[in-house]
Amino acid sequence: MKKTIEIINELKANGHFKEYAIGGAIAALKWTEPFFTRDLDVFIIPEGDVDERQVIVLSSIYEYLKGKGYDAWTGQWLIIEGTPVEFIPAVGVAEEAVANAVETTFEGVKTRVMSPEYLIALFLKASRDKDKMKVRLLLDQAVINTQRLRAILTKYDLVEKYERFGQ
Amino acid sequence: MNEDKTKILTADKKVVTFEEFFAGDRETHKQQAKLPFEEKIRILITLQNLAVNWGGKKDVIVWKM
Repeated sequence: MKKTIEIINELKANGHFKEYAIGGAIAALKWTEPFFTRDLDVFIIPEGDVDERQVIVLSSIYEYLKGKGYDAWTGQWLIIEGTPVEFIPAVGVAEEAVANAVETTFEGVKTRVMSPEYLIALFLKASRDKDKMKVRLLLDQAVINTQRLRAILTKYDLVEKYERFGQ
Repeated sequence: MNEDKTKILTADKKVVTFEEFFAGDRETHKQQAKLPFEEKIRILITLQNLAVNWGGKKDVIVWKM
């Protein structure tokens, strides 16, 4: 995973996106006990590659990676240094989550991970069974800033979902 | 067997109720949440290996550190 993060940092350094943060299960796992997952979700704020139809274009990322020899896919995941990676354009609450991500290191390599409060909001928004499991883990095991969480949930209209979740 | 009355002898030789036993279990999970990120990824890789070699999930890709 260290080399995978190095490649993601390289993409950012070369201007393929403005900012990124690890989200999804791996970000949750940063704050909770370890659990099984298959892939690495990388949320990106695009550099401006939005075409005239307001479609976010990720092709420059994939072309750059293909040029480096990364062109093996499994489903929607591109294999980068042995790790299945999905690049997800961050919009709405995800964009704010990327902007406010926590800087950390992995084996000495700098990276950014979404905070537990934003992860809870994103998992609540998706609300599949596996997302609900992660919300439970985060609420039980992570250190949560409840004031920040409440502000995010209010801003993105997720309070009702959160309160229903607790019942 | 009555869960309220039956007790358990733990590995560290304490006799505890079921309630205390599961409270201890919850505490262990919370302690695991405090492990370094790298250690958690090592455990994840072990879980991926288990999924492939023991669970027969041949489509799981085992990561490298």
